Amino acid sequence: MGHTITEKILARAAGLPSVRAGDEIMAKPDFVLAYDFPGYTDVYFKQMKEEFGIDKVAEPERYGIFIDHMVPVATPKEEELHEGTRKWCAENGVELFERRGIGHQVAAEVGFATPGAFVVHFDGHISQLGTYGTLGIGMRRNVLEAFVREKVSIKVPETVRVNLTGSLRPGVMARDVFHHIVRVLGPASCRFQVMELGGDGLEGLTTEGIQSITCLAMFTGALTAIVNPDQKRLDYALPRARKKLEPVSSDPDATYAAVHEIDLSELEPIVVVPPTPANTRNLSEYAGLEVQTGYLGSCASGRLEDIEIAAKILEGRRVKTGFSLHVIPTSQEIMAEAARRGYISTLVEAGAFVSSPSCDYCFGRIATMTENQRAVSTGTLNVKGRMGSPDSEIYLCNAAAVAASAIEGRIADPRKYL
Amino acid sequence: MALQNLKGRVAFIFEEDDFDVDQIVGVKNIKIQDVDELAALAMTSYDPDFSKEVRKGDVIVGGRNFGYGHPHYPPMKALRHLGIAGVLAESFSPGYWRGEISMGFPQCSCPGIRAAVKRWDEIEVDWPAGVVRNLTQGTEIPFEPLAHSDALMLEAGGLLPYLKMNPAG
Repeated sequence: MGHTITEKILARAAGLPSVRAGDEIMAKPDFVLAYDFPGYTDVYFKQMKEEFGIDKVAEPERYGIFIDHMVPVATPKEEELHEGTRKWCAENGVELFERRGIGHQVAAEVGFATPGAFVVHFDGHISQLGTYGTLGIGMRRNVLEAFVREKVSIKVPETVRVNLTGSLRPGVMARDVFHHIVRVLGPASCRFQVMELGGDGLEGLTTEGIQSITCLAMFTGALTAIVNPDQKRLDYALPRARKKLEPVSSDPDATYAAVHEIDLSELEPIVVVPPTPANTRNLSEYAGLEVQTGYLGSCASGRLEDIEIAAKILEGRRVKTGFSLHVIPTSQEIMAEAARRGYISTLVEAGAFVSSPSCDYCFGRIATMTENQRAVSTGTLNVKGRMGSPDSEIYLCNAAAVAASAIEGRIADPRKYL
Repeated sequence: MALQNLKGRVAFIFEEDDFDVDQIVGVKNIKIQDVDELAALAMTSYDPDFSKEVRKGDVIVGGRNFGYGHPHYPPMKALRHLGIAGVLAESFSPGYWRGEISMGFPQCSCPGIRAAVKRWDEIEVDWPAGVVRNLTQGTEIPFEPLAHSDALMLEAGGLLPYLKMNPAG
């Protein structure tokens, strides 16, 4: 009986010949990642010293710290947090990635998405490294374990296999694929399990698009998502890889808790209606609903294909007067390329507000909504108060739908603009 | 050291699946740090008299995928401050589960619990026996065993004491 890619990665990380779903093991993460955030990294750094008497992490090359929230800062206190982070990284010899973009994306760009590696973070959106055959798990506060000892305790998760077939129709994007998975499989369909994506349909999706899907895995209850990396993904990840590891893949006779088939050609653009990521509807049902603001960005979306389609839709058109469209490329690398290709000037000329990468739009720290306002957003989450007042609303959708809605000031079907 | 059994009344049943725990204090209050202030707000939209009725050792019961969404820590801090000793649910969302286990707050995944209890029933979670007893109705149902590391973390009283007690890993 074969093994899943997850079992293979965890067996190696645990130094065991093999492990099976359900085994409780101690595994050594190849990389330990975190962004600085009050109550998380500042607390870990303090606890390491004061509670565990650890002055320095043992293998600094295993760690990576990101400054992507509170960028730019708005208060001296926020700058104080970043100062503490810079100091800790310097003292520990740990590489700091500041203002390079949203950490989960930058992590892939700088080689933490090493195929076959086991990566931990406190934030679950690190699951997107699964695009490259990397097992990225968000441990919430338990990631402290990875700061004070070599190994972390983990129960080897079962795997749910999701096979994608067919190809997406125009105006339908990878975001819609994820939301559709939640719709048909349910918000608890992969609880405590790994969502493994496969099938011929993957070939028609871009690497960026797969990252949109794997990023959001937590809203199916999954611990993470992963893909058996094909040549396209390996060609991107291997030259950047920070560690020499043999890429692994699931065996054909691996055991899955469930296997599902999703036909991509059946999908339409989707909106996720507040207040939960489980409220998935066809966008056409909500077309015409008045919206005041739009956000195109986040660790889930905001990559080149998202910016490209928005530019295509907005070229020669205008954002409706009174509507605030924020376009925030996910990383500096992406932003520079979008500028080279002319997408940024198209968007600016159409009336969009374009800013350098930051996580801050996604959780309402800036571009904050007041009560009774509504947003269309490619952010990660639509719970109450996520982008401002608890009495504002977030409709999650793909980048094309955000751009189309910006033209009309109402939720709009992007297909008529393509 | 063994994990202490939970014994108390069912102080409230959240019937819905995918329950977002932030609702317990209300999203607009989620950034409040002061635990007395949070406790005064907790559950008021479900039962205005909750804080008067609840007793130390009482438990909360939930549905499937309890803790779905983007769970924050303040709601459960508030409930613990009011005396709630643990949560039993049909099943849990992993992010919520990890967060609360790391706080040393007992969580018990017990399929069938929603139908097996009524509000204010006296129940017992017997960890070694692996069952939840409804002492009021004289019935019992099994729960899903805790992972070894989760049990150790609860016994230790949370993540920090757990890591200190098991320094070698």
